Amino acid sequence: MTERLINILLESFPKIFLQGLLVTIPLTVISFAIAMVIAMVCAMIQIANVKGLKQIVRFYIWIIRGTPLLVQLYLIYFGLPDLGIVLPSFPCAIMVFALNEGAYCAETMRGAIESVPKGQLEAGYCVGMSYMQIMRRIILPQALRTAFPPLSNSLISMVKDTSLAANITVVEMFMTAQRIAGRTYEHLALYIEVALIYLIFCTVFTWLQRLGERKLTSVSGGGSIHA
Amino acid sequence: MLEVTGLKKAFGGNKILKGVDVSLQKGDVLCVLGPSGSGKTTMLRCLNYLEKADAGRMRFMENEYDMPGISKKEISAYRRHTAFVFQNFNLFANKTAIQNVTEGLIVARRMSRAEATERAEKALIEVGLEGKFDSRPSQLSGGQQQRVAIARAVAAEPDVIFFDEPTSALDPELIGGVLDVIRGLAENGRTMMIVTHEVNFAHNVATRVIFMDEGRILADAPRREFFGAEQLPRIRSFLNSLERKE
Repeated sequence: MTERLINILLESFPKIFLQGLLVTIPLTVISFAIAMVIAMVCAMIQIANVKGLKQIVRFYIWIIRGTPLLVQLYLIYFGLPDLGIVLPSFPCAIMVFALNEGAYCAETMRGAIESVPKGQLEAGYCVGMSYMQIMRRIILPQALRTAFPPLSNSLISMVKDTSLAANITVVEMFMTAQRIAGRTYEHLALYIEVALIYLIFCTVFTWLQRLGERKLTSVSGGGSIHA
Repeated sequence: MLEVTGLKKAFGGNKILKGVDVSLQKGDVLCVLGPSGSGKTTMLRCLNYLEKADAGRMRFMENEYDMPGISKKEISAYRRHTAFVFQNFNLFANKTAIQNVTEGLIVARRMSRAEATERAEKALIEVGLEGKFDSRPSQLSGGQQQRVAIARAVAAEPDVIFFDEPTSALDPELIGGVLDVIRGLAENGRTMMIVTHEVNFAHNVATRVIFMDEGRILADAPRREFFGAEQLPRIRSFLNSLERKE
């Protein structure tokens, strides 16, 4: 390895890493937080069978899951200006990622809620609790435990999917690496480097997932959720 | 105390209950016998509004309800006086034994935590579960889980407790313990309605016995008469078929 290459890598590493901390991670975390709210609302609407709204939710999930994420990004960022709606790239990316992830996670949540035996709902009614009380105190804590691993999976996928935002001019990790590669012609080295930095971030999230699972296990009755 | 007339229920086109009249007096231990598919469980579930009846009137204490038309508010007022024990226990899996008992008291009945805990401890001791207060349902045997469920029912001090085949999901060696607990409740004068396949238990503990077949009540008699000499042929053949199985 030449000295020039080593210098390029040493110089670019903090730049890319910082861009990860400043853009990739906030983009991921904010989008995912919004997605969780969307997913929870959509799952509850489907579970509680709210007429009208349920059809809207099904339609939304159908559209999102049936079209590529990249197309969705292009449509909102490059397409909407034709209608006079111009969004800055970062909020636009957050919106698309949140809507996209929300649709997938809604299905994860719905499945998790449905996996809690219905008898517990009836038992809750019989001791006088209301539907919302039973949901909040009995069903959702168990559903969350079930949904936690697949939701973590989605979060980790999202860290990497945010690289697509480079296509709509968001200067995140991948775009930063791309620019340095273009300037220095060290494509192989730079893309390996950025891949490694993604790996570092994802490893941290995986580690957080383990920690979260251990905590949830201690409060929700362990592997016993399907008693 | 509780009187139901003309109770009907169908699932799809399948008529499960074809006009059932049933009543319960204070202090009654009413056992409901009958073959599978005779509508026993459906009747019990209708009585606590876990299923919506297609027709029927209910008189409970001073209130009278049109069973299909009853409002949510009326149902929750009614359920303050009743408790239900399920075949599959249906404990809250994310709660400990004692939390299973206190949950309804605190959340639905707005009891203080201290008072609810005191009541729950008493109820759990009554069903023989001292030392298991902080166990999760997953750490308990089926029989123990069912006893937690009974404690949960008893702690609310209901006027009526409905039991839906409380021992059917249990291993044979655990059945006796649960039946003993229910027998203890009977001796304390609790009003109960028990759907069961345990004929011997009915024979020993019931004050009255109902026999159901194909969505109707074929017999409704005090225990002595029910198991006496004047039995209907249909009941005799049912009881004989059970004996043969044993």
